[in-house]
Amino acid sequence: MLNNKNIVIGIAGSGGDGVISAGEILVNAASSEGLFVFMLKSVGPQIRGGESSVRVRVSDLPVQSQGDRIDVLVVLSWKNFLRFKSELQLEEKVIIVSDTNDPMPDEEIPLTESQREFWYKIPFTKLAEEYAGTHQAKNIVMLGAISEIFSLPREALNKSIKKKFRNKTTEIIENNIKAMVAGVEYVKTHIVKSDPLTFEYQRRKPRLVMQGNEAIALGAIYAGLDYYAGYPITPSTEIMEWISRYLPQRDGIAMQMEDELASINAILGASFAGKKAMTATSGPGISLMNEGIGLASMAELPVVIINVQRGGPSTGLPTKTEQADLMQAIWGGHGDSPRVVIAPCDVEDCFDSTVLAFYIAEKYQCPVIVLSDQFIGHRKESINPESMGGSEVGFREIYHRDTPSIEDLKDYHRFKVTETGVSPISCLGIKGGEYLGSGIEHDEKGFPKNDATNHAKMTEKRWKKFEYIKEEFRFERFYGPKDAKLGIIAWGSTKGAVKEAVHKANAMGMSVGAIIPQIVYPFLIEPFKEFIENKDRIIIAEMSYVGQFRRYLRGFLRFSQYGVKVIPFTKAGGAPFMVEEILNKIIKEWKEMEAKQ
Amino acid sequence: MSCALNVKDYKSNLKPIWCPGCGDFGVLASLYKAFEELQLQPENTAVCSGIGCSSRLPGYINAYTFNGIHGRVLPFATGVKMASPESTVIAVGGDGDGFSIGAGHIGHAARKNIDITYIVMDNNIYGLTKGQASPTTPLGERTKTTYYGNMGMTFNPVRMLIAYKSSFVARTFAGNPKHVQEMIVKAIQHPGFSFVEILSPCVTFRGKDQFKIIRDKVIYLDEDHDFEDELKAFDIANNEENFALGVIYKKVRPTYTEIVKEHVTKKARATVNGTPKIDQLLEQFQP
Repeated sequence: MLNNKNIVIGIAGSGGDGVISAGEILVNAASSEGLFVFMLKSVGPQIRGGESSVRVRVSDLPVQSQGDRIDVLVVLSWKNFLRFKSELQLEEKVIIVSDTNDPMPDEEIPLTESQREFWYKIPFTKLAEEYAGTHQAKNIVMLGAISEIFSLPREALNKSIKKKFRNKTTEIIENNIKAMVAGVEYVKTHIVKSDPLTFEYQRRKPRLVMQGNEAIALGAIYAGLDYYAGYPITPSTEIMEWISRYLPQRDGIAMQMEDELASINAILGASFAGKKAMTATSGPGISLMNEGIGLASMAELPVVIINVQRGGPSTGLPTKTEQADLMQAIWGGHGDSPRVVIAPCDVEDCFDSTVLAFYIAEKYQCPVIVLSDQFIGHRKESINPESMGGSEVGFREIYHRDTPSIEDLKDYHRFKVTETGVSPISCLGIKGGEYLGSGIEHDEKGFPKNDATNHAKMTEKRWKKFEYIKEEFRFERFYGPKDAKLGIIAWGSTKGAVKEAVHKANAMGMSVGAIIPQIVYPFLIEPFKEFIENKDRIIIAEMSYVGQFRRYLRGFLRFSQYGVKVIPFTKAGGAPFMVEEILNKIIKEWKEMEAKQ
Repeated sequence: MSCALNVKDYKSNLKPIWCPGCGDFGVLASLYKAFEELQLQPENTAVCSGIGCSSRLPGYINAYTFNGIHGRVLPFATGVKMASPESTVIAVGGDGDGFSIGAGHIGHAARKNIDITYIVMDNNIYGLTKGQASPTTPLGERTKTTYYGNMGMTFNPVRMLIAYKSSFVARTFAGNPKHVQEMIVKAIQHPGFSFVEILSPCVTFRGKDQFKIIRDKVIYLDEDHDFEDELKAFDIANNEENFALGVIYKKVRPTYTEIVKEHVTKKARATVNGTPKIDQLLEQFQP
């Protein structure tokens, strides 16, 4: 359905067409006008070259997802579009803008009759060569053309183009501006607008443009990261790239290790020496790190581990998203190994979740895993600068590790059993605080101890912290009316589609509520109990074929005791949920519930 | 010195669990003496290990000590050193921990020239798991897991470390505690990655005659041995008929910490005025 305040633009072309640059220019222009933006990019498996596509959703109102269907499809090369056909689902009344001189004959292009209704052809390449002296500027010609057709913010685009090429010569900048004007002028003189789409919006304060991975890196620095060790792996690498550039400005060290085994152990070493330490990886890396995460639990060392999930198992889908590392995050590794798992649900939340991860790790002396995914990690969103710790007062507290008191050091017991399970933590440089840290079971002093009684005591001590974490944090996200009979539970990046679908469903007259946790483990049971109490049916939506989250929830929530029917809604990853998919599920369940009454 | 530290100050309250006659006792005694000689402050000293008989050693020392997981002592020690560059950081372990499960890390700690000392107590066998083949077990030797004889070529640690550009490579023998102490002191004093292989016999699983067998094969490097000569160092390593003891190879070059300070932090600092506030970092995300 066309909506003049919310437009989803898909752009596809070959690797050299500048598809991603065009998307970025568009995103920056819209964000500078204070619009809400969401951009996903998709590239072929080639390292360089090959095909690429972007999907940019620009809206006057807050957006939660990538938008299900493409309103405006811009094609720089039809041949390459075909490779993304399954990712770029078109509206029936889609408006097409393509190159006049595309070699593919119209009849071979797979479009329905109605999709051919609004089809503008513009000689992008020819105009680029003519006005900018190079075919490479065809993406800029295109931006000029669509800004004229759909009334996109022209001035802002102009500025974004200049910014994009700011490190190039004046000549290049001027040529690109010429290219944009050529696109505008061509539309004015050659195109008769027949489609009904004209973008309308209100200008607001500029918003920032950021990827989830960048938000995590920034959150870590905000939280006081001192030492980062990591190994490159898609789709998490941007975290390390960003940190390796900005952490040294604050005298921190970012170190590329030989593998993930080294990474996790290096951050444990830094934490042992008293520093805030973190690593970031994806599924295969986490699999390798599991032994080290267990060591962090046993030696009670604060560390933050970021997992930007990708499709699995094994090498799986490196550039695609999935939510199937949940069980591994919670139960991975051998032994009863306490760790906290936090799941950010969007780009803004990546920042907050990372700050929270450091807070919990340092305060409770345990490993904290942040479970992001490729969908959040690689997408660009326009965000409110104030949610990024900027000058905001009262933002989430930064926790600085306590050192042992003089009293503690008189007869120092590093692993002293306390009420909360948290013991005074010493580190290199503190006289009298020397101790043996270890992965082997130990007594309160830290010395190896092999007997069952001690193991029971120390295991209990390490798990006791969880009770206090559950006490300290209660925050969950609720959407829709609390008294709704139909509910949805989801986690992480699935939030976007769920939230939007819930709002739509309620606007359509249904009554649907949703709950999304931020801390996934330990499980904060109370808000969920409250949530399911008055429900008849609960849809559990997740990007895990076997339904890991549902199986996990069943361990805590006796749905049948509350008379709640659980509706599994699972899919293998690759493509994130569309709003429509969730909404259709809601409608189906709603209708069944109505029919029963 | 009014408050000089002596050997007993470096002893923890834990008693070693090693078998009687184990070479590691000698190594531990020499390590205490080396610490005393260097007057290391326990609060500024870290001794880390992985898993194995010899990896139990940190528990016997009064300092910041850590007994982590199998094969990962070098990355752990690297993290400690990065976080606390002013501390003395020592990694210890055995041939299984270092050259088998942990072998992938040695080259990287060496090439990065992390300023730590890595002491390997090489007994040519897995002792903690009671007698299985290690990378340095002689070819053809029967062990519990190589019943018909060890099938792999015997690993040559010194040759590997020279090839990896370890900036300090020494070998010594637990049967000569004075020499062990001397090598450890030199290794700790060396700025950069220093490696010391200590031939430390396992009398339980390789026989009581191990001390004698090794002693008969030991030769000491001449005072005037040119340790900067890499090819000479390889020659010494390649002589597997004898064990040449002493500093076999040594060449001082900038440590990782120095490089970070000079080439990373300095450059990064030069791009900003003071420590950037979050607001300044956010500027790059302005559209």
